[in-house]
Amino acid sequence: MLVKDVMTRKLITVTPDDTLGHAATLLRQFQFHHLPVVQGEPAIFGFTGAVKPLYLEGLLTSQDIDLAVAASGQQPWQERHVQEVMDRSPVCVTPTTSVSAAAQLLVERGLNGLPVVEYEQHEQRTRALLVGLLTRSDLLIALARALGAFEPGMQLLIPFTAGNPTPLARLLLLAAELHVQVRSLVVVPPRNGQPHTATVRLGTINPAPLLMRLQDEGIEYTFPDLALEERRHDNA
Amino acid sequence: MTMPDLTSHPRVCLAFDPLELHYDFGADHPLQADRMRALLDLLETCQLWHQGDPLLHLPIRPASLDELRLIHTDDYLAAVQRLGASAARLPALPLQQRQELEQQAFRYGFGDGDTPIMPEMHEVSAMIAGGTLVAMSAVLGLPEGGQFASPQERPVHVFHPGGGLHHAWASRASGFCVYNDAAVAIAHVLRASEAKVLYIDFDAHHGDGVQRAFYDEPRVLTVSLHETGRYLFPGTGDVLELGNGLGRGYSVNVPLEPFTQDDSYIEVIENLLPPLALSFAPDVIISNHGCDTHAWDPLTHLALTTRALQAQVRLVHELAHRYCGGRWVAVGGGGYDPYRVVPRAWALVWAEMSGRPLPAQLPTSWVERWHPSWEAMRERERETWEVMGKPQQESGFPTTFEDQPDHFPPVPRLQEITRANRHTASLVRHLAVPPAVRPAFPPLRQRSPLTGLFDLLHLRGADTPSRSQTLQTPRGPVLLRDFCPPSLVERLRPSNGLCSFTRLPEREHRLLLEIARRADCALALAHTSGGEIVGEVTLAPGDAWWEGLEQVYEVAIEVSRDWRGLGIARNLLAFALDLEAREDLIFFAVGLSWHWDIEGTGLSIYRYREMLIKLFGSQGFKEYPTNEPNIAMDPANVLLVRVGSRADQRIVSQFFSRVLSTPHLPRL
Ligand SMILES: [Zn+2]
Ligand SMILES: [Zn+2]
Repeated sequence: MLVKDVMTRKLITVTPDDTLGHAATLLRQFQFHHLPVVQGEPAIFGFTGAVKPLYLEGLLTSQDIDLAVAASGQQPWQERHVQEVMDRSPVCVTPTTSVSAAAQLLVERGLNGLPVVEYEQHEQRTRALLVGLLTRSDLLIALARALGAFEPGMQLLIPFTAGNPTPLARLLLLAAELHVQVRSLVVVPPRNGQPHTATVRLGTINPAPLLMRLQDEGIEYTFPDLALEERRHDNA
Repeated sequence: MTMPDLTSHPRVCLAFDPLELHYDFGADHPLQADRMRALLDLLETCQLWHQGDPLLHLPIRPASLDELRLIHTDDYLAAVQRLGASAARLPALPLQQRQELEQQAFRYGFGDGDTPIMPEMHEVSAMIAGGTLVAMSAVLGLPEGGQFASPQERPVHVFHPGGGLHHAWASRASGFCVYNDAAVAIAHVLRASEAKVLYIDFDAHHGDGVQRAFYDEPRVLTVSLHETGRYLFPGTGDVLELGNGLGRGYSVNVPLEPFTQDDSYIEVIENLLPPLALSFAPDVIISNHGCDTHAWDPLTHLALTTRALQAQVRLVHELAHRYCGGRWVAVGGGGYDPYRVVPRAWALVWAEMSGRPLPAQLPTSWVERWHPSWEAMRERERETWEVMGKPQQESGFPTTFEDQPDHFPPVPRLQEITRANRHTASLVRHLAVPPAVRPAFPPLRQRSPLTGLFDLLHLRGADTPSRSQTLQTPRGPVLLRDFCPPSLVERLRPSNGLCSFTRLPEREHRLLLEIARRADCALALAHTSGGEIVGEVTLAPGDAWWEGLEQVYEVAIEVSRDWRGLGIARNLLAFALDLEAREDLIFFAVGLSWHWDIEGTGLSIYRYREMLIKLFGSQGFKEYPTNEPNIAMDPANVLLVRVGSRADQRIVSQFFSRVLSTPHLPRL
């Protein structure tokens, strides 16, 4: 998964000369927390693919505004300009950065959002063409989507030993045969040499026919955290 | 428990139509129409109800396409009609046509074993949706509920066992459900009246379709109690799904542990439902009595008996009488033990609702008729339990209405389950029950400009986010509603005469939707009970010229050409501005002569200007001179301002310096 698959493309931008009052109105209106600051036209909407390219000048966050509000002295904060408080060299990623690298960057640097840019050479200068924004929310939504959470379904665990995913393959064939939709399939790499477990999300309210076939074929399955008996706490 | 006084609600009905028995997905499918046949047979054998009894039977009719459109999309409705009509001859169709239909089936949720295409499924499902709609309309006294000779003959409770198809989405069949009858009925009530609706879903699965339909709607409180979605379909229904936008706090979810038994279940519902009903103050309750929560049900892991099912229905009955004049509709829902559980469970619902005592024993003749059907499926039921990880139980076919406690021994993890459910219930209480509602939300930062308009307008913490009021006009009642959420706007349509800016009703509709979606705008509408928008008032932060001024809002009003002269403008404006924060704020309205509907009103520019000043004057607005470039462009234009008596003096002086500041733009 690459940044371009999960980033926000509809961008609301400001220019360095805009006032903080204007920026605050935009953030409030669209319920965002980040505004990329771009050169040029004082346009409100900078949908990517728009006629004019947008070149990144900086990043303004709702925290920057809150700080300016808290520090406002003689001059009302609304009248100050974006360029006075924006971050002039925000950490950026490109559309082909991997999502895992971007996630690591956000966590390690304690950031909430990353402008997504493409670099262009222009008269010996490098310019950053703004193409999107990647926020923590985008990553969380991508995670929930990858887990199939936006589709109704039930979950099943299929244990299998590393190197032999046959039970998983059989499950998928049976699901296809019985017209059961597979909403998502997640295999987390093993820790401490434990066997693999695949979490399968199936789009059915009635898994019984599929489960009966699994049982007939001797394929092991469990439900996450479904235990009738007292849980054993012997494995630390 | 106080028994309701039966003489005070003379009429209780059961809604049913024989067409509902065609909601059947075939022999090997868990949802069997036989469960309805066995139920009706049980009621008739016990002389609790009879289809021929005009006092107890509420006749129903199919929901119209217009009514189904309140929830479902046009393309989905078209697909259901087309697929249902061709279901019977599908195998005989030419390959290409068949593949095309199969693709369509797949796209709309009919492509799997759960909700297969069923012959005439549009007609059958529309009848079910119509049944719940008629039932709701009847208890609320809306015309769609039918004509009654006297108010005493209007039913106060209605049971519609065929309803409860709570998984259907706007454009997709899901989990055995085609049309979402409860959602259609609730949407109809929202459109046709001021009523607030409490929806309580006892089905073992999360009521995802109904929750989705009203996720942003504070006039509908959806409460779903279900087995946790950790593995069970549909996987949603977490405590933290609380609603969106203005509807935040109006979706409540109580996910319960697998193998939850009666005591823990009853503790949870008695703990949560009364305070929720009290604080929401509904006008009507609709409850889903899906009985797939029973220990014998093959599809879920909850382990209730008739004792808990009875506690559900008793509690709802009591809440209905205590908080909403008894207005209550119960629908069926899930239930996949069609012979041993469903008939008894829903007979208990009807007995409680109609105040008729049940005999202890099931009638022998009924047992003789239905016991063989269960024997025929007994082995399959046992296998299903096994693969679903449920304990095997030795009990046979029941002979009594109520379950025998010794058939249901305590499960091994009882203590752990009870503790986990208590924890869940206390979390829900904390999140959804006032006065804990507000502190549970992110605290309002007093000086931050980033809060939504709703919070600004309710600085003093009122807890009614969206008010309704009925205005009687010579052309019939008009409903006034403030803070309209997008879902409501979607279900209404603008009157043809309401588009002096946008020219086209569809464009006006899109515009209103965009306004409804903005957190910093408020939209108040006047609409008819038929769903026609006849007037609108918008409150929005001032645009470019007024940028950066806090607590300054522009007010705009429009009333349909066809609905003028009825006092709607004056009343709607007064209603929209009847906000507790009005004295903290500055409101202004801009009248630009080139926008005025001179042709439609037949007034001169001068007269129109006078009318506008008078209209806003009724709310304390005064005319001010200004050099705001738009207004200054024509001497007929007018700026009207209302400064709240408590408005911050710093903001007031900023505002007036802006009103008369020198424009940066060259003067024309
Ligand atoms: Zn009653
Ligand atoms: Zn269910």
